[in-house]
Amino acid sequence: MALQGRSSSTRVRNERRNALLSGYRPLPGAYDELMAADGTIRPQWEPFLAEWSALTSDELQRRFGLADRHVRDTGVSYRVHGDLDENDPLASERAWPLNHAPLVLTGQEWKTIAAGVAQRAQLLDSVLGDIYGPGRLIAGGALPAAAITGSPDYLRPVQGVTGAGQLQIYAADLGRGPDGRWWVLNDRTQAPSGAGYALENRLAIGRAFPDLFRTMNVERLAAFFQGFRAGLVARAKRVEPRICLLTPGQLNESYFEQAYLARYLGFLLVEGGDLVMRDGLVHVRTIAGFKRADVIWRRIDGDFADPLELNARSALGVPGLVEAVRAENVVVANGLGSGVIEARALMGFMPKLAREVLGEELILPNIATWWCGQPRERGIVLDRLNEMSVSPAFRATGDGLDGGTVLVADLDRNEREVLRTRITERGLDHVGQEVVRLSTMPVMQGGRLEPRPMTLRVFAAATPDGWQVMPGGFCRVSDESDARAVTMRSGVRSSDVWVTSDQPVEQVTLLPSPDRIPIRRIVGILPSRAADNLFWLGRYLERSEATLRLVRALLGRLINADDQAPGHAETIKRLANLLVAWGAAPATPKGRPIAAQARSALHDIEQYGSAAASVREARRTASVIRERLSVDAWRLFGDLQRQLAAPPGKPTSEGEAFEIADTALKSLAAFSGLSQENMVRGAGWRFLDIGRRIERGVTTCRFARHFIENDAPGNCLDALLDLTDSQITYRSRYMLGASLQPVLDLVMLDPYNPRSVAFQVEQLDAEIAALPSLNDDGMLEEPRRLALKLAAESRTAEASRLDRTSVLFFEQLLMGLSNAVAERYFLQNSRPEGSRMTRLA
Amino acid sequence: MIYDIRHLTAYAYSRPVPFARCMLRVLPRDGAGQRVLTSKLSVTPRGAERNDGICFFGNRTTTLTIARPHRELRIEMTSRVEVTRPAAPFPALTRQWEEVVELALKAQSLAPDSPAQYLYPSRLAPTVPEITDYARRSFPARRPVFEAACELMARIRKEFRYDPEATEVATPIREAFAARHGVCQDFAHIMIAGLRGLGLPAAYVSGYLRTIPPPGQARLEGADATHAWVMAWTGPGTGWIGLDPTNDLIVADDHIVTATGRDYADVSPLDGVLVGPGSQKLDVKVDVIPVI
Repeated sequence: MALQGRSSSTRVRNERRNALLSGYRPLPGAYDELMAADGTIRPQWEPFLAEWSALTSDELQRRFGLADRHVRDTGVSYRVHGDLDENDPLASERAWPLNHAPLVLTGQEWKTIAAGVAQRAQLLDSVLGDIYGPGRLIAGGALPAAAITGSPDYLRPVQGVTGAGQLQIYAADLGRGPDGRWWVLNDRTQAPSGAGYALENRLAIGRAFPDLFRTMNVERLAAFFQGFRAGLVARAKRVEPRICLLTPGQLNESYFEQAYLARYLGFLLVEGGDLVMRDGLVHVRTIAGFKRADVIWRRIDGDFADPLELNARSALGVPGLVEAVRAENVVVANGLGSGVIEARALMGFMPKLAREVLGEELILPNIATWWCGQPRERGIVLDRLNEMSVSPAFRATGDGLDGGTVLVADLDRNEREVLRTRITERGLDHVGQEVVRLSTMPVMQGGRLEPRPMTLRVFAAATPDGWQVMPGGFCRVSDESDARAVTMRSGVRSSDVWVTSDQPVEQVTLLPSPDRIPIRRIVGILPSRAADNLFWLGRYLERSEATLRLVRALLGRLINADDQAPGHAETIKRLANLLVAWGAAPATPKGRPIAAQARSALHDIEQYGSAAASVREARRTASVIRERLSVDAWRLFGDLQRQLAAPPGKPTSEGEAFEIADTALKSLAAFSGLSQENMVRGAGWRFLDIGRRIERGVTTCRFARHFIENDAPGNCLDALLDLTDSQITYRSRYMLGASLQPVLDLVMLDPYNPRSVAFQVEQLDAEIAALPSLNDDGMLEEPRRLALKLAAESRTAEASRLDRTSVLFFEQLLMGLSNAVAERYFLQNSRPEGSRMTRLA
Repeated sequence: MIYDIRHLTAYAYSRPVPFARCMLRVLPRDGAGQRVLTSKLSVTPRGAERNDGICFFGNRTTTLTIARPHRELRIEMTSRVEVTRPAAPFPALTRQWEEVVELALKAQSLAPDSPAQYLYPSRLAPTVPEITDYARRSFPARRPVFEAACELMARIRKEFRYDPEATEVATPIREAFAARHGVCQDFAHIMIAGLRGLGLPAAYVSGYLRTIPPPGQARLEGADATHAWVMAWTGPGTGWIGLDPTNDLIVADDHIVTATGRDYADVSPLDGVLVGPGSQKLDVKVDVIPVI
């Protein structure tokens, strides 16, 4: 990194520093991370302030730009809960809101936090083991049964099952009180999110301020992930276990993080439908058949993991998973049922449980909590109601009481009485808690720093060497200055967390040392779902291309309205009809101008065959396999959608629409280029290409059928050459105008023309031959058989005998091949309506 | 009493189903004054992988895996069950209901019959303030719990209209309550929601009720039905007592229990996933024949 913009005098630096801090005053009654109450800067922040003061404001902005670009380029995103457009799920994704200032903590202070979080992980893991095991704490009266049974995450079917509730990763949400002590606000034991975002924040800020990491000796994060991974591996029975990350799918709030972590840790990203339980074992459905899964790191709630034994309404899980866990053939982490201990009802019992289970006092206290299922505690809450916050004792199931924390001080008289009655009648549903007052940290606001409340999520992983705590974390900063609460809904930014050390820190990366890396060329297995999506991605891309070519050919002819060539009007009519047959434009009400039809075919999302609709489908398909696409490829979808969005204001002119089609075709060509030049020739690429080739073959047949007839005017054949991008080849071969048989040969049968049907067939034959076969009886599998048949037909066909019927025959064979590929390699019935999970009773 | 029970469930699919995995809860359970003398489950298609077990609540479960295409699934359960329940306590002598509420909260067990398991709203029996208020009218301060519960049951019987056309399995109890109609399943869920709303443990029971044909008429073959009712916890000692709000009956020897749980979802006779297109047709036949 160049040191530009740093050679300034002490005076200038002091001025900049004063400007940065000009509005910074700790909020009354709250601890501030940067500044002590007397206005002095806490020492661990000095190097940070020095660095920022050393940069001109332009340079500082440029550095922020670097970090923001990293966020944008990697596509870090999250989804705001309850903010989902079913028709366009990607629309509700938000770019990651990064606070450019890190949270700086001293190594000394961190020791206490790390020890406290590790202790708590140990404690919760032991209590979970008891709840699902011997139940001594309950029988002994340390924990009332009713403080457990109210949780929807208390999973009765895993009672007594080995590993039930066992923690592999744990997160604590911490806040710092006015006296400077850290408090545990919440426990995250179900499937904690945020570790991947912490990693991303680090990479983004690291790009902007690389020197600071060295000068401040910031602790690295990679060792934590290494430990977490080793912990999962150690739980498996096989030496080289297959570890799957089970995601709820792309509609989940933190799908991006899951895809990112799967790639970073080398796990297979799977959805419930990718897994299948047979004979007590869990398998991944891949194109090469069932492959055993050893460890499942679940990011779905335990309740949803198995529709057969747990929540029957779940479409996210794996039927029979509990049976496989019971048979100890698969490890699920965190153990099913682990979420029960997140309940606020249990918080008040923790100090006592720490003494009972560990024989220790809690290193980090949790906020004082009173579960109103006990008469004495209920009395305390009712007596001091006005100074408390009241929350549901258990996670709301959605059908029950309207959840959420309320600050009683904010309620009016009437609301307080309603709450009082509820607590009196069914105290067991509520907890009262001390109102939290959070500490504040700096955020950049209009060129200077301002204090904002924050919470810190700290992660602990069970490793073969015990609990290991990530030296850093996921810090959330509120946009409001009310220090009483932070929720990561809207208006929240996220900060990198720096734990500084007095000594240079050890460098660890997840890459093994070079002499231990076994050489590999094709990595891993391809799950059927990924193959399915790649195949359809190929088809949708090719379909958009065909629509765009159609629109371009049509508009080109419309613009040349004075063309007097014979058949000109007929060609335009046929092209327009094809748009309708394609589903790209509405069946024409009489008198609707052809240009309007062309505009529909470009922009109209309602028309399933329009370019805009096909691109949207392509992007949706791609979003499910984002971990397999490059950043550049992913960005092209955004470009395409922008290009094809209907411009506001008056409708586009024919000339403008022509330009739009042309530009979009270039973007599609860029995608083809990327996939041809940059994708490894593994099974994934092959399915993408098979999809493209089949679609191209089918559309070419359809074009041909539409434009060939014995009496087809030359102008129509000309259009066919345009649509198949074969105009130049034709002209270089034949000096005369377009005539039927040479055109047909070039478009249908010429294996040297990369746009011909024959060319697609040859490629398909080669690619399908390279796919894995399940047959061991020497018989051909159906896709292979059909590909061979197609190749034989196209090699032996003659242009002079081709007519609409024989072209239709090719088209049908190609469709048959598409079905055969789907049937053999994809999940059953995954198209068009998705695999159907029917509840019988 | 000794009963012979036959319960047939048959699905016919419009198109072959290539793969199905399901969980059955149709074999009757032992306990609480009931003894299963013999029981048998036969399944068509034959050759289905079958796994018998007992779920958390103590109900008998059977997991079926059918890995080949089939157009029909037939499940026939036959059993002989002896029912001799102890007499219910005298209502006025049971504990005050407020005391029962506090005792349930202090339960020191996560066992399946622990009152703590049945205190909270569940998916099909959620807390509905209107239902709690409705129940409260039978629960004035310090009234004996069983006496109050019996009155609540009687009110449901009197004030609700039995109407098999009005509701479906998925109808929320809020709707059934507002319209004051439904079937045994709705009445049981409503009564459970009311009791739990007051902090009293209440469980859901599925099973059969012996039907007595009108005088002079023969029993109709296959015309009996599955039934559902409630168990209320009345404190240590008197424990769980069955109450049938559909018929305003304290459960005795005419009721045969199949399964118990928090609500219908825990005892649903058939849960499962099948992969395949097409529609299905369901046929159910039940016979409950008193032997002695």
